[in-house]
Amino acid sequence: MSGLLTQEFTVNMGPHHPSTHGVCRLILTMDGEKVVKIEPVIGYLHRSMEKICENRTYAQCVPLMDRFEYVTAMSAEYVFVNAVEKLAEIEVPERAEYLRVIMLELNRIASHLIFYGATAMDIGALTPFIYGLRERELIIDLFEMTCGQRLTYNYMKIGGVSHDIPKEFIPKCREAVKIIGEKMSDYEGLLNENPIWLARTKNVGVLPTDLAKAYGVSGPVLRASGVKYDIRKNDPYSIYDRFDFNIPCRHNGDSYDRYLLRLDEIRESLKIIIQALDGLPEGDTLKKVNPFNFKPPAGEMYSRIENSRGEMGVYIISDGTTKPLRVKMRGSSYNHVQVLPKVATGVLIADLVATFATLDVIMPEVDR
Amino acid sequence: MKSVFNGLKNLIKGMAITSKHLGRHAVTVQYPEQRDNIPERSRGIVVLLSDKETGELNCTSCMLCMRACPTAAIRIEAPRGEDKKRHLQSFVVNHTICCFCGLCEQACNFTAIKMATMYEFSSLDKSVLVWDMNKLQEMGRDVPYEPKKKPAAKPRPKVEEKEKAADDKEEKPDTTETKPDEKTDPKNENQTPDQPDEEDKKGEA
Amino acid sequence: MILATAELIGIFQWLHGFLVDLGLKEPWLSIVVYCLLSVTVFGVLCLIALFLVWWERKIAGHIQQRFGPMRNGWHGWYQTVMDALKLLQKEDIRVDTRDKAVFFWAPVICFVAAFMAYIVIPFGKGLIVADLNIGILYIIAITTFTVISLLMAGWGSHNKYALLGGMRSAAQVVSYEVPMVASILTVIIFSGSLSMVDISNSQQGNLIFNWFIFRPPFGIIAFITYIIAATAEANRTPFDIPEAEQELVAGFNIEYSGMKFAMFFLAEFVNMFTVSAIATTLFLGGWNGPLLPSWLWFLIKTLLVVLLLMVFRWTFPRLRVDQLMEFAWKFLVPVTFANLILAGWMKYAGWYW
Repeated sequence: MSGLLTQEFTVNMGPHHPSTHGVCRLILTMDGEKVVKIEPVIGYLHRSMEKICENRTYAQCVPLMDRFEYVTAMSAEYVFVNAVEKLAEIEVPERAEYLRVIMLELNRIASHLIFYGATAMDIGALTPFIYGLRERELIIDLFEMTCGQRLTYNYMKIGGVSHDIPKEFIPKCREAVKIIGEKMSDYEGLLNENPIWLARTKNVGVLPTDLAKAYGVSGPVLRASGVKYDIRKNDPYSIYDRFDFNIPCRHNGDSYDRYLLRLDEIRESLKIIIQALDGLPEGDTLKKVNPFNFKPPAGEMYSRIENSRGEMGVYIISDGTTKPLRVKMRGSSYNHVQVLPKVATGVLIADLVATFATLDVIMPEVDR
Repeated sequence: MKSVFNGLKNLIKGMAITSKHLGRHAVTVQYPEQRDNIPERSRGIVVLLSDKETGELNCTSCMLCMRACPTAAIRIEAPRGEDKKRHLQSFVVNHTICCFCGLCEQACNFTAIKMATMYEFSSLDKSVLVWDMNKLQEMGRDVPYEPKKKPAAKPRPKVEEKEKAADDKEEKPDTTETKPDEKTDPKNENQTPDQPDEEDKKGEA
Repeated sequence: MILATAELIGIFQWLHGFLVDLGLKEPWLSIVVYCLLSVTVFGVLCLIALFLVWWERKIAGHIQQRFGPMRNGWHGWYQTVMDALKLLQKEDIRVDTRDKAVFFWAPVICFVAAFMAYIVIPFGKGLIVADLNIGILYIIAITTFTVISLLMAGWGSHNKYALLGGMRSAAQVVSYEVPMVASILTVIIFSGSLSMVDISNSQQGNLIFNWFIFRPPFGIIAFITYIIAATAEANRTPFDIPEAEQELVAGFNIEYSGMKFAMFFLAEFVNMFTVSAIATTLFLGGWNGPLLPSWLWFLIKTLLVVLLLMVFRWTFPRLRVDQLMEFAWKFLVPVTFANLILAGWMKYAGWYW
């Protein structure tokens, strides 16, 4: 056996994938079936958003932030609007804050449902994708009823939200929350204890705690590696300090934990939505701010929120004119892509696919 | 041994969940024979709204929608006539550039422009999607809307007050307000903001 | 309407008589009759394969709470015909390799091997092309032919990924042959004969409790291990590494297009029907059943097993390659051999019912 000459070969897991993670190219060096080296190549979705923002007024930047991360567009808009409001010290009406929290949590659930479906599809189970999307339809129907769009909402405005909820929103929202809560047992029964699923995701892609901290990983990936850090509790924004919810945390850091953690997070989000619906006050939803002539004071501000993928942040430098001088967007997937070579080297391709799926990387966040 | 039974039991549980769905009715809608109900706020194409009685366009060419649009999909030509008011000459919306954000609708104070709920307008030729004023008005005829009250005309300020107001506003038209691609905008001189006229003032209220 | 089995047999007896009247002598008579029988079976199977493709898409759709094909015909019944016509008009890509014959003959061998097994499968009481007294052994030998075609496809494609895919799938099929054969042997111990007709006959009577699946515990274990091994033989999820798109290395059929691809595809579905038919004959009583004609019972039972395989595909995730092989060699083989030994001992000691 020692006389056999083997050669490593390079395989390009090209920008087009059957997986739904977007356009990320992975250059793999393989020794037979094992992956020896991974080199992610990003930039296929670069749209120079940060530069475009420098030529738009603050109100016009909001639809652009939608496209920064279109799976959780509400969070992307919110982080920008929050930064501007903190800079200009604008007080947002109560009702608007509650509506914002409801929309953010609904968006988190929708994003986790896509994660569930896409991960299951990568690992081979084709049906959970459709089940996840079926429940997501309930959520995006709610969004369409409120702001008019299903994916790129343009709902958050500087000073509040753009539309008040119609009267059929609240009963439909409660019904959607109830249905999703019931279907969670379906999702869990289908995959959680399935021996094939366990064999594919347990002890696969283990991310140790110190490596997670060193790479600046955040969100569910960090919490699955044992660090109980959630910006909604550690550095509360909006009115999250008024709600009662737990932060799930797991300790193994493997793909199975990351998967289970996101399912737990869906349940916590459902709790938050019910509390917000119960406590929704009357009042205005928008503190009127002139969209054309709005000039925040010169200065800089960083705002961060807990997105469904991790910490999402926006850093704005304003020079006192109607257009920002610099908008820097920080997406958590950028760090997660860097973690991939550390976590998935020396395994078979199937494990690489499973790990990449559970890291839940979205390319628009990486490339902007 | 026990884990084998456990594994088999969980496999069968998974199969039971999928097999349960075999008996349920499908949730999909057979397009194009059936269509889903679209909420009224749904943002489809841009249309121009007309007055219900007279049939004339509500638009007063205040140009706020053009200034609000982040992608410069709206082009308005409205030169001033002898009575110093703007007359709408051409209003073109390029739906291939429009990002359907709804900022134009939010900016308009006269309910002149709206995003209607129509979504089936794909075509093989890009020029079909660039709509001029007549097409926009025609598509907007049957769109229901709640007319906003027109804000009352403010009395024109005297000359000194006007100059003081102009001094307070320190902006210069270098980065022309919200016009993203200036080099393709031939009528730049029509949009200078340093002489705010009545409609602009109303827009800033 | 031809509903009863006796009438179906009657047709071929009439044909036999007709040919004798025409003056056909012995060797030619058998050849012509068997050819006609085989062509009939081939025709029926092609129809069954088309039906199965449609049915799979409908089942997949309804499991996912959507419809599946709906446009071509009532609920899309002739969708498969349209797909086959579409595949016929695709460009037939020729690979630039020296082994053109290997590339060409791989799908043909796969297709032919899939159909050859049906000579000994009893579609009903007396409805069998040839009642070989080594029936089940013949089937096991024929299903191994597909391995050759997989290797030929992988080699002839002149593509390292196709070669890897072909080798992996050949390894998978060969590994799962062992537990499959061992499960079949368990049944043969109880029935005492290799002939398919004898196996079906020995499950007659006593309502359904003579079926081999109901001779616990060895019947049940043999059935379960047989179904698992059969899923792997037919390259279906959870063992569909060769066909998975999400895996980087695609399967052996990536270079094939048009009708050659259609042959692989149809052969897969025919294979699925074969393993279900064997499961029905061996474990579920073959064509036995009250009231309805025997071929209808056979069809219903086989389609139920096919439904089981389809639900497997749309429920379970995929196993990794090394887990697949580990499962075969470290789990299934010992279990089936233990089952076999115990079943043999039970028969010897007379403790069976």
